[in-house]
Amino acid sequence: MKKIFIFAAALLAFSSCQSLKEEWQPVFTGEYDKPAVNQPVDMEANTTIAELAAMYETGKPWTVDKNIVISGIVSTTDKYGNFYKSFYIQDETGGIELKLGKNGLYNDYLPGQRIYVDCRDLELGMYGYKSGSGNGMVQIGFNNGGDDTYETSYIESSILIDTHVFKGEVEGEVKPIVIDAEDLPGENDTQNTNNNIGKLVTIRNLHYSWYDSRYGDMNEAFALLYIDSNKDKKASSNRIFISGEDTGITTWAMSEEKMDEYLTSGIWDGVDIGNANDYNYGTVGDYKDKIDPISGEGYYGIDRAPYSVSQYFSTEPGGAGTCVQIRTSGYCRFADTEIDPAVLSGDKTINVTGILTLYQGRIQVTVNNITDITVNP
Amino acid sequence: MVAATLLSFAATAQIPTGGIEATVVSRAGRAPIQGATVELSQDDALLSSFTTPADGQFLFEGLADGNYVLDVTADGYTPARVNVKVEQGLVRNLMFVTLGPTQSLLASELDASSFAEFDLDDTGYSDAPTILYANNDVYADMVGYGFSAIRFKNRGYASETQDVYLAGVPMNDALTGYTPFSLWSGLNEAMRSKDATLGLEQLPYGISGYNGLTNISGQPYDVRPGWRFSLLTNSALYRLRLMATYASGELDNGWSYAFNASARLGGNDWVEGLYYRSFAFYAGASKRFNDAHRLSLTAFVTPGNRGAQNASTQEVYDLMGDNMYNSNWGYQNGKVRNSRVRKTFEPIVTLKYDYTPSEDFSASATLLYRTGYNGYTALDWYDAQDPRPDYYKNLPSYFFIEDEDYNRVNFEKAEWARYAWTHHTPEYYNYQHLNWDRLYNVNYANPEGRSKYALEERRVDQNDVNLVGSIDWDIDRHFNLRAGAQFKYNRTENYKLMNDLLGGQYYLNIDSFAERDFASNAALIQNDLDYFLANGEAERITTGGKYGYDYLAQIRRANLWASGTYTLGTFSASLAGSVGYESFWRDGLVRKGLFAGLDDNGNEMYYNGRLLTTYDKNGNPVTSKGKSDVAQFLTWSGKLNLAYEMTGGHRVSANVAYFNDAPTFAQSFVSARTRNTMVDGLTTVKTFSSDVNYQYNNGGYNVRVTGFYTKINDQTDVMSFYDDSQHSFTNFAMTGIDQRHMGIELGVQVPLFVEGLSVSGVLSWGEYVYTSNPHMVQTVDNNAEIIRDEDVPFWKSTPIYKVAGYLDDGTVVYDQDADGNYIIEGETKHYVPSTPQLAAAIGLNYNINYWFFELTGQYFANSYLDMNPLYRTAFACGGGDGKVTPEEVYYMTEQERFDPAFLLNLSIGKSWYIGDYQLGFSLNMQNLLNNKNVKTGGYEQTRLISSYGKDRYYRFDPKYFYMYGANYMLNVYFRF
Repeated sequence: MKKIFIFAAALLAFSSCQSLKEEWQPVFTGEYDKPAVNQPVDMEANTTIAELAAMYETGKPWTVDKNIVISGIVSTTDKYGNFYKSFYIQDETGGIELKLGKNGLYNDYLPGQRIYVDCRDLELGMYGYKSGSGNGMVQIGFNNGGDDTYETSYIESSILIDTHVFKGEVEGEVKPIVIDAEDLPGENDTQNTNNNIGKLVTIRNLHYSWYDSRYGDMNEAFALLYIDSNKDKKASSNRIFISGEDTGITTWAMSEEKMDEYLTSGIWDGVDIGNANDYNYGTVGDYKDKIDPISGEGYYGIDRAPYSVSQYFSTEPGGAGTCVQIRTSGYCRFADTEIDPAVLSGDKTINVTGILTLYQGRIQVTVNNITDITVNP
Repeated sequence: MVAATLLSFAATAQIPTGGIEATVVSRAGRAPIQGATVELSQDDALLSSFTTPADGQFLFEGLADGNYVLDVTADGYTPARVNVKVEQGLVRNLMFVTLGPTQSLLASELDASSFAEFDLDDTGYSDAPTILYANNDVYADMVGYGFSAIRFKNRGYASETQDVYLAGVPMNDALTGYTPFSLWSGLNEAMRSKDATLGLEQLPYGISGYNGLTNISGQPYDVRPGWRFSLLTNSALYRLRLMATYASGELDNGWSYAFNASARLGGNDWVEGLYYRSFAFYAGASKRFNDAHRLSLTAFVTPGNRGAQNASTQEVYDLMGDNMYNSNWGYQNGKVRNSRVRKTFEPIVTLKYDYTPSEDFSASATLLYRTGYNGYTALDWYDAQDPRPDYYKNLPSYFFIEDEDYNRVNFEKAEWARYAWTHHTPEYYNYQHLNWDRLYNVNYANPEGRSKYALEERRVDQNDVNLVGSIDWDIDRHFNLRAGAQFKYNRTENYKLMNDLLGGQYYLNIDSFAERDFASNAALIQNDLDYFLANGEAERITTGGKYGYDYLAQIRRANLWASGTYTLGTFSASLAGSVGYESFWRDGLVRKGLFAGLDDNGNEMYYNGRLLTTYDKNGNPVTSKGKSDVAQFLTWSGKLNLAYEMTGGHRVSANVAYFNDAPTFAQSFVSARTRNTMVDGLTTVKTFSSDVNYQYNNGGYNVRVTGFYTKINDQTDVMSFYDDSQHSFTNFAMTGIDQRHMGIELGVQVPLFVEGLSVSGVLSWGEYVYTSNPHMVQTVDNNAEIIRDEDVPFWKSTPIYKVAGYLDDGTVVYDQDADGNYIIEGETKHYVPSTPQLAAAIGLNYNINYWFFELTGQYFANSYLDMNPLYRTAFACGGGDGKVTPEEVYYMTEQERFDPAFLLNLSIGKSWYIGDYQLGFSLNMQNLLNNKNVKTGGYEQTRLISSYGKDRYYRFDPKYFYMYGANYMLNVYFRF
């Protein structure tokens, strides 16, 4: 009996002493004070964006192993959906994309805010280079871990971002530089050789469509669709190129809903599946006969999804001059905005403000918002 | 009338003519108690004593006017004391003296109902008792609360099938059927008095279903008389509970009144962020008129806030080194703040009338009204990063998985993520817990004052009116008739409320993820399309505003039941039946852009030239606003109970029943939050249930053996999961779910050689399996399209494929028939989840000199993880190439079985009597071995990962709940 007493007492004492401290820690259940406003960091850059870009060698992504800090002002926003999971910063020498890999970045990295990037351990690489065609864009991301789809991957990991990307003062939104046709980069330029690349620019008086003298084609719009996006996107049996003239695409891009409208209208029924070297899979129209397992009705057996569209413009009328593609994401808010018919017919020109980029040596402009495109009277 | 004891103590010339008569009955079932000792005393002087015969009746005659005290005792029952006033020389008929089951020191003071908490269901930890029955049944005693920590479900039945009544009114939630214990948690004393049955047995309040019926009296005259104070501290739920109770017992003037109040405060040792700040109040008064009538009025409410827990994947638990990690909280200005808080205020008022004109007949009626609110907060965000720390993209596995086929190849990134998770010092807390400071700063920085992060409160506000009545009539000495009627009216508003804008000025009432899919069509993303069309923009919601969704669940239910019992000697047979009508519908109060339906004039709706109205496969518009179709069901049931008692304490009984029950509201709409669409092919649930029992009760031995068999067919279920990738709820509506439960129960208590020492043991061993492959329709809240609509061919089992041979590298080659189909040789069953199908316990009890000790060892096995129908479809097993292979089927469809668990618990208690005062304590130590690896439940996520080669799918990791490690509960009480 006595032993039981002692045992019980010991257990009681044990259980109460051991946890006595944390045991009675009060739980806060009142009104929480609002957290303080974050303060800007105090840092300095030691390298310009152009200098950093110069460190990149074509085809050789580089894991930065030096003490390199760049700085720039945020020039893009993912708020309207045309930029996604990344943003551009620019200094006097150029602009560069930071592939952070998070959604809603504009909430944390405000347009006009100064950003410092401690580049050590991050990856410098290029997106959009094609041998024989030309350069793409030098970017900052993370190493691709052996998945060589792209030279860099998104940084993504929160701790990586927080230890490499720092926020400074909000200094005011970037004012675009107005550039002329002769300022536009050539196919082998980079941020280092043309300091307009990667920056927010305005290009005036662009004419719809562009004539590709190499292939003898007039280009108006371009979109790549997939029959099933869950399957191999590189297989030509899974690809549909909507390109050239008379594509029927009259919007800047296409949301899922718009894509469906285009598809069911029949305008693409004659388009071949596959690419020019491999047209062995029938046409879009052949896919009309699929039966929907849910509704039992016939439908296009083609993936309905938002798709990006490149609209071709030229610096000169009639498809002459330099090609400027305006590439717009199908996920953006203004994807389905119709292009002014007077622009499509060539009667009117546009001015566009966006990030000047290269993709396979071709000039692409990506706008933040539809208000960045204006039609000239 | 059987006996009379004439008294002649009054030395007056006139012989007194007054007297007292009554029948001693058991509380459960009002059965007469034979052999009860009734002692009559006056002014502490014993006047007479009497032992009741088989009919339980007694009569004291020849009493002078005055106050008397009756003390009634019987083996196996708690003693009762009744104050009686004899007036005007009349014989006072008390009708019944009711005795409750034995309350040994253990039963009464360590009785888990003293500290049971019932309202943890949303945390995954359900401490709701599996059985509420404790009437001298070893099995129920040991399983009732002892198995609740492991979430044991008796006979594998869903907890919704357990009927819980209050004052005779069915209280299971009108929408979900869930047991409603949280409505009165913290009122343990006021709600202590209860009757309960197990399985198919009946009670006088209704014929009940197949998983027992518990009726909680809740009436002031049933609260233990006197003052009682208790102080409880524990390490598993909250730090402190203070409780005070007073009950008058029934006074001479017929009045009884009682109150009970408590506060539960603080957090616990095991899960950070969980806390209670809950209060409870109860008051009741009752008046007996003319012996035959009694009217009682009670009111109670348990207002409070309670922090909740979340399940995480094993990867997260391992990174944190803690299986009880909770992702719901984070630091705000250095203080722990939980994003998931249950906020309740649901007052209930009951008015009960009892009519007992004679000892052969009684009737009662209760009116019960429930109102108030029930809220549950959660983070909401718009076009911003998922703020949850354990979001899958924050985990190392998102960056790297050993198997290259997952195409997650970035080891270095994974190591960075791992570093953030495994360093448990303050600078890394923001990676392991919610980062409130960031959420506020995002809102501060938004130039328009628009909150990107906010705290929503999901409200379920019930208005529930119930009227029930019942009679209990002994027609003759062989035949008893019980019958009753039950009506329910329920109107529940479901909506979201803006709880906290987290530093911003307003929140925009749009569907945040729909915007990703329908960014270019402003109408489709509206939560309130009518507001948008009228004002040209979405509503700006401020604190306290309704947003998101808003609909009424309307439920009407009526039920008539009757039960006749024929008794001959020790044989009894009861035949019972019920018939009922149930209807329910949804009434949408806002028009959601995605489900615009027809406008108020019945026309299709357009916005900017685009048609908004969509149609389902039957050609009906899919609508969110207005009244849905009305689901109507005729319900009925039949039940036969047979029992035979033999001399020497043996009893055999057999029960059989059939039920045709309506599905619940919650199971009937594909996504009640967003649209009026009902599950296709909605039908009643058909249940056949039977059991056979043998009991032996003699000389301290107590044995029960039960065999049971239950078949449940045509169940519907709607499972809703939050889908990370969709930032929305995804819903699986399944129809045609059949299951079968069979097994045995054993309870044994054996006295040992030492006085006060006994050993008891229980065993529950069953097989609860799915027996059909249901049909499934998958929808998501932010898209009008049906995502999937197909059979679930691997729901009830995983096939076993015939092996043709092995390749040199050990790869299995499966046999195929001439048509190329794999040959199936057998199947691996899938089980009803989240309860051990094998459970056993053995306990050693020692009671001496107001001390008690109880040491219990428990063993649990064969518990399974809840299944997700998506993983059991041919789609998931087919992968991107659509080819279903045995490897994929094995991988995708097999059900996880949890490891067995062994637990050791110890209870110690003591009470002291000091004059009229009683002081005591009980200490309950659970899981002494500090086993922290016991899974109690969880669920499979609903997402698939496409392989590198796009030819197969992989699962997302499941999420689990674990049982707490060693914990204790110390209760000190004082009563007088």
